[in-house]
Amino acid sequence: MTTADNALAAAVERCAQEPIQIPGSIQPHGFLLVLDECDLRVLQASENVERWLGVPARELIGCTFADVVSESFDLRTQLERLPVEEAFPFHIGDVRLRQGAPFAGALRLLTHRHDQVLIAEFEPLRPLADMADLGDYYPLVRGFVGSLHNADSLEELLQQCVLQIKRVTGFGRVKAYRFDAEGNGQVLAELADAGYPHYLGLCFPASDIPRQARDLYRVNRIRVIEDANYQASPLLPATNPRTGKPLDMSFAALRSVSPVHLQYMRNMGTLASMSLSIVVDGQLWGLISCHHAQPRTVELRTRTACELLASVLSLQIESRESHARTRQLLDLRQHIVRMISSMADHDSVSDGLRDLPEVLLAFANASGAAVISAERCDLIGQTPPAAQVTALVHWLTRRGDETVFHSDNLQRDIDELPELAAHAGGVLAVAISQIHSHYLLWFRPEQVRTVNWAGRPDKEIGPQGTLNPRHSFEHWQEKVSGYCEPWDPLVIEGVVELRTAVLGIVLRKAEELAQLANELRRSNKELEAFSYSVSHDLRAPLRHIAGYSELLGEIEGHGLSERGRRFLQHIEEAASFAGSLVDNLLNFSQMGRSALRLSDVDLNALVDSIRQELAPDYQGREIVWDIARLPKVIADPAFINMALHNLIANAIKYTRGREPARITIRARQHQGETELYIRDNGVGFDMAYANKLFGVFQRLHRMEDFEGTGIGLASVRRIIERHDGRVWAEGQVDQGASFHFTLPRHPATT
Amino acid sequence: MLKPILLVEDNPRDLELTLLALERSQLANEVIVLRDGADALDYLLRRNAYANRDDGNPAVLLLDLKLPKVDGLEVLKAVRATAELRSIPTVMLTSSREEPDLLRAYELGVNAYVVKPVEFKEFVAAISDLGVFWAVLNEPPPGSLRLNRRGSN
Repeated sequence: MTTADNALAAAVERCAQEPIQIPGSIQPHGFLLVLDECDLRVLQASENVERWLGVPARELIGCTFADVVSESFDLRTQLERLPVEEAFPFHIGDVRLRQGAPFAGALRLLTHRHDQVLIAEFEPLRPLADMADLGDYYPLVRGFVGSLHNADSLEELLQQCVLQIKRVTGFGRVKAYRFDAEGNGQVLAELADAGYPHYLGLCFPASDIPRQARDLYRVNRIRVIEDANYQASPLLPATNPRTGKPLDMSFAALRSVSPVHLQYMRNMGTLASMSLSIVVDGQLWGLISCHHAQPRTVELRTRTACELLASVLSLQIESRESHARTRQLLDLRQHIVRMISSMADHDSVSDGLRDLPEVLLAFANASGAAVISAERCDLIGQTPPAAQVTALVHWLTRRGDETVFHSDNLQRDIDELPELAAHAGGVLAVAISQIHSHYLLWFRPEQVRTVNWAGRPDKEIGPQGTLNPRHSFEHWQEKVSGYCEPWDPLVIEGVVELRTAVLGIVLRKAEELAQLANELRRSNKELEAFSYSVSHDLRAPLRHIAGYSELLGEIEGHGLSERGRRFLQHIEEAASFAGSLVDNLLNFSQMGRSALRLSDVDLNALVDSIRQELAPDYQGREIVWDIARLPKVIADPAFINMALHNLIANAIKYTRGREPARITIRARQHQGETELYIRDNGVGFDMAYANKLFGVFQRLHRMEDFEGTGIGLASVRRIIERHDGRVWAEGQVDQGASFHFTLPRHPATT
Repeated sequence: MLKPILLVEDNPRDLELTLLALERSQLANEVIVLRDGADALDYLLRRNAYANRDDGNPAVLLLDLKLPKVDGLEVLKAVRATAELRSIPTVMLTSSREEPDLLRAYELGVNAYVVKPVEFKEFVAAISDLGVFWAVLNEPPPGSLRLNRRGSN
C-alpha cells in the first residue's frame, strides 16, 4: 500500500467510527419527545418543539404526554397496539396539539420503544404526491406483485420496482443497485427525469457508504432526508436519563444524518433523498436510492407503501437466489454423481476422472483441470504447462494446512510462482491426499474487466485527516486485470463433497484389492495342492511304465524283434522324459513359493562348480571358456545356482557342433544393480521370438535338434524376478546368443 | 536268523516293483508285506490279527508315505513314540518331493527318505543300498542343501 492508500484507509476508518446512531439531534420537519412509558412523562424533547407547541423544550421536561396533546387522544390505550417485538416507528394515530398551540393542524404520531424509553415522533399530515391515487396504495402494490412474476431477469425486476417507487414518490431519479463482495454498488436499474444525470451501469465505490451506515441500513429499512440544507434540532437534555448516554436513534424516522452525508448530497446536486434497503438472507444486498433536486416531503403512507414494495422485492430476490442456488446445487450433485460412477467403473480414480473431461470442467465451471496422482499429472483443457502445475502442487503441499485452496488472482496470491499468471487467472485446488500428493485442480482464465465508476473512487482527505465527500461523479473507467471469475462458495462446498466421495471410492477400491489378494492366496493354496498331487500321482504311473517296460525288455527282450526292442526303448525314454518334466514343473512352482534366503554369493565359485557338474555333458567337445573376474552378489545361493546352471547348460547345449564353442561370462556394474551375462557362439535365435523365450514350455528348436522341457528359461526368469532383477536375451540366428540378468546391489530385506 | 524287512505299500505295482528290486539286491532277509498303516501298527504293536506273531522287531521298516487308513507319517510317529519300537530303522518311500512332507518326516525322526525314481535301474540301486541306508538317493533335510555349503565357500 502507498502512503496515500494508507491515509485514505485511515480516513475511511475514521468515517466508519462516526456514531451516526446517536447524532443527538433530529431533522426539523417534525419534533420528537422521549417519554417514560410508566408515567408518560417527558424525559427529553427536541428543541424545535417550541415552534409547534409554543413551549420551550426545557419547560416540557417532566410534563405528562396529556399536557401536550388535545384531550381526545388517549396514548395509554393506543400503546396497547404497539407491537412488542418490533422497534420500528409505528403509526399509532393522528393527533392535534393542546389548545392554544401555534400548530393547529393534525400530526402523525409514530412511536417506538428503544433504549429503555418510548420515543414519540410527530410530523405534520401533508398532501400526497400527485401520482399516488388518493393514497390508496392497494392497487399499486397488487400491480407490482403481479409484475414481479413476469420479470425474466433481475434487472427487469429492479426496473419494475424503480418504476413503481418513482411513480408513488415522484422523486426525480430512482435507482436500484446491488453491492458486490467488496461493497461497491453497481446501478442495475434507473429511472430519471430530464436534467438528472444517469448512473445506470456505473459503480459506486464501497467507501461511499461507511460500515456503520451499512449496518444501520440492514436493520432500519428506510431513511428519508427531506432537505439536505436542514438545520438540525438538538435534543434537550442531551443525554437519555435512563441510560446516562445520548439517545440511541437507530430506528427514529427523524434521526439527523452525518454532515458528511449532507455535503455528499449537495455535491451530487440533490437536496432530498430516500433510501430503501434490499435485505436478502439477512444481508444488505442492495439499495433503492431516490433523489430529488429540490427538497421533497415523503408522506407516511407513501413511505409505508415504499417499504412494502422494497420488502416484496427483497423476498422476491431471496426466492430467486435460493432457486438459482438449488438449481446450481442440483447441477453440482449431478456432476459429482457422474464422476463418482465413472471413478467406480475404472481401475483408478484418476482414470475415472480423465474419462469425463467435460464433466470435470463443467462441475467447477472451469476452463482447465489437472488430476495429480503420485505417478502422473494429467492436464485437461486450458491449463498452465505440466511443469508449472507440478510446481503449484509442490507449493500447495508445502502450504499443507488446508484441504481446499482457492484464488481468483494467482498473481496476487502466489508470489513464488509468478509465471502461473501467464496461463491462468485463478485456481481451485483440493487435496485428496496430501501425504500421497494427490490433488485435483481447476483453472479459470484471467478476465480483464472494465469497471465504470460513477466518479473516481478515491475520496479527498481533509486537513484533519477526515474524509471529504467527493465532488466528482464524472464517469471514470478502470481496467481491472489479474482476476478470474470468483469461485462460488457452492462450488467450493461441492469440491469438498467430491473429495469425500473420492476418498470413499479409494477406500472401497482398497477393500476390493484386499479381497483380490485373499482370493489370490486361496488359489495359490489350491495350486500348491494341485502340484502336490501332480508330483505324487503322476510320477507313480510314469514309474510303473518305466519299470515294467525295462523289466519286459530284460526278461523278454531276446524274444522281441529289433523293432519291438526299439519301441520298448522309446517307451522307457518317454516315461523318463515325462518324469523329468514333472520334476522340473514342480521345481518351477516351488520357486514361486519358497522364501528367499539371501546371503553373499561368490559367482566365480558358483560358475566353477556348475562347469564341473556339467562336465559330462560336454565331454569330448572343445569349449573355450572366457570367464571374467565376477563380483560377489547378494542372492539366494540355491536359486542363483539353479539359474546359472540353466543358462550355462543352455550355452553348452546350443553350441553343440561349434568348433570351438565359445562361452563368455562377464559382469557389468550399473547404478544400483549388477548385470551378469552369458554369451555363446551357438545357434542363436530370431529376435522376433525374444519375448517367447522366457515363457513356460516355449521352445524355439525341434526336439531332435535340442532336447529340453521348455522350463529352464522360465525358471531363470522366475528366480531373477523373485530377486527384483530383470532378464533379457539378445541373439541372431546362427550368430550366437547372450542372456543377461541383473540383481539389485542392495536388495529389499523383506 | 536275520530279522525280516517290513514293507508297507498299498499300490500293487509299486509293491511288485519294490519286491523285484529287493530280490535283485540279494538281501537275505524275509520280506513281510503289509498293505495299510493300520495293519502296520497292528503288526508292530502285536495286536488284533498279529497278537500272536513271533517276537522281535523288523530289521528295517520301509514305509510308503501315503497309505490307506493310517498314513506313513502317523505310523512313523507311533513308532518313534513307542519305547520298544523306537530303534527300528525307518525309511520313507514316496513319489513326493514336496518339502512339507520331507520336513515333517525328518521332524518325526525318519532315518532315510527315498523318492522313488522313475527309472527302474535307479530304483533297484536305491533299494539295494538300503542295507547301508545312508544311501546315494536319500534326501538331505531341507535347508541344508549342498548348494548352500558350496555357495558360501
